[in-house]
Amino acid sequence: MIHKGIKIDNTFAEAFNMKASRIIVTADNYKWALNACSSFTGFATSVIACGIEAGIETELKKSETPDGRPGYSILLFSMSRSQLEKQLETRVGQCILTCPTTAIFSGLDGDDIIPLGKNLRYFGDGYQISKKINNKRYWRIPVMDGEFLCEESTARVPAIGGGNFLVLSNNRKSCLEACETAIDSIKNLPNVITPFPGGVVRSGSKVGSKYKALIASTNDAFCPTLRSISNSKLPQNVNCVMEIVINGLTFEDISLATKKCIESICKSKIKKDIISISAGNYGGKLGQYHFHLRKIMK
Amino acid sequence: MTEITIKPKIKLKYRVDMSFLSKIQDYKSIREFLATKISYGNKLIGISSLFKITGSNMSKVVIKSADTSMDNIGKGLMHIDMTVHGNVGYSFGSNMISGKLTLHGNCLDYAASGIKGGKIIIYGNTGNYFAVKPNSSNEGILDGFIYIKGNVGHNSIQRMRRGNVIISGNIGDYACAEMISGSVVVMGSIGKFFAEGIKRGTIITKDKKLTKNYRVANNAEYNFVGFFINSINEELGKNIFKNKTIISRYHGHENKENVSEVFLLKS
Repeated sequence: MIHKGIKIDNTFAEAFNMKASRIIVTADNYKWALNACSSFTGFATSVIACGIEAGIETELKKSETPDGRPGYSILLFSMSRSQLEKQLETRVGQCILTCPTTAIFSGLDGDDIIPLGKNLRYFGDGYQISKKINNKRYWRIPVMDGEFLCEESTARVPAIGGGNFLVLSNNRKSCLEACETAIDSIKNLPNVITPFPGGVVRSGSKVGSKYKALIASTNDAFCPTLRSISNSKLPQNVNCVMEIVINGLTFEDISLATKKCIESICKSKIKKDIISISAGNYGGKLGQYHFHLRKIMK
Repeated sequence: MTEITIKPKIKLKYRVDMSFLSKIQDYKSIREFLATKISYGNKLIGISSLFKITGSNMSKVVIKSADTSMDNIGKGLMHIDMTVHGNVGYSFGSNMISGKLTLHGNCLDYAASGIKGGKIIIYGNTGNYFAVKPNSSNEGILDGFIYIKGNVGHNSIQRMRRGNVIISGNIGDYACAEMISGSVVVMGSIGKFFAEGIKRGTIITKDKKLTKNYRVANNAEYNFVGFFINSINEELGKNIFKNKTIISRYHGHENKENVSEVFLLKS
């Protein structure tokens, strides 16, 4: 299938069931809200070693936040409830509470509740004040710049992690440029995040390794340097491959994000250097969700 | 489905207990509801002989041409959106649990006493003993949101435990007695002996006499205040704090058991 001059491989991305939560971080200005969010979402690229996958979802205007200050929403994904709870609490405590002028609110409503500021309030050492507004409890924790306001809990919802596509290019510069264009196109798209640095992964992995201790290792089938010695899936003119991993709340959200990304690459000037768009999967045996590229781009 | 509309057919001679309206969702059909009988004077009388009732949507009720003989409107209300036009009698919205109760008029004493949740909006004045503790409990308001556009009478808001009360007008004597927690905003003036025996909670007022025995805290940035004001404006759909700013905070009282805080409002 050739879509607007770019070949779309007949393959699919394989994604998994995850649990997600959303938080809203506000501050006196975007600079400090971003500082808090960057710190919170640091070292949160993959559940393999980071515990959670997290990223900034959207930038929020003053009119869109609970306290009328600028902010950002963050989505965080995990394989288990306990890990999500633990990571959320730790990261809020170390990255948001510590950041000047910030406040934190839940960005999701639901029956499956997980603590947000519930245990963090004890940092107030007895001086914390509880307030209940609109059936939601908030904690005011005195800190050195005034007070830290945090909502007591947030909700946890089912979600999908691991939606992806690969950009196959004949040089590294254009591959990176294509990926940047794709990431920019979904920068403020709700319900999805791209958890890797800048949204792009250069070290796609396969399951297992020749070394018993490792559960994942380099995806040799897509490594251009191994094309001549391994079971490569790359044609000769491909010299660089980069992956964009997309986590989202629903199947439709990831499909839409994937479509927008590929469309943006197809519309860009850089498309002349792009050989094809492919996707990473494990033969369809591991993931519960399959994102067929050609179906998405129809 | 159209909302249930209720209008008195006759000029009411005796007081009427309107709490039957709060149980409207317990009835299986509107026909069954219309067969309800209530006390009127010393007789038991069908509601349809006193009121003209139309509509079928049991989650939304509108009372038109209300009368001060109508007591207990919205008593124990749950999951119902009720709007009342006209002045009403005693115990308006008492023991309310959830839902929304709007009054376009004034009400007599004991309004909003012992509410446990929900939202009460009164575009008028209330009598004495507003939001007091019910006889069955040792605590007053347990939760909920109340907005009064007009003035509030004496002996109001006793032993408040949680919730938010916003009063655009003035409040009478002995208000906020033995307040345990929660937030109260009074835009107008406050009466004598305000907040006697208060333990915790937040009071936002422009009346400086309340702050006499408090210590001035400082002018730090309080994230909660902005959020609280934003929440109130969002609830009401209008900015009631326009041209009003918080100028100082008082925290810490000469009575050590009083750890409440007072935000002074400049208008």
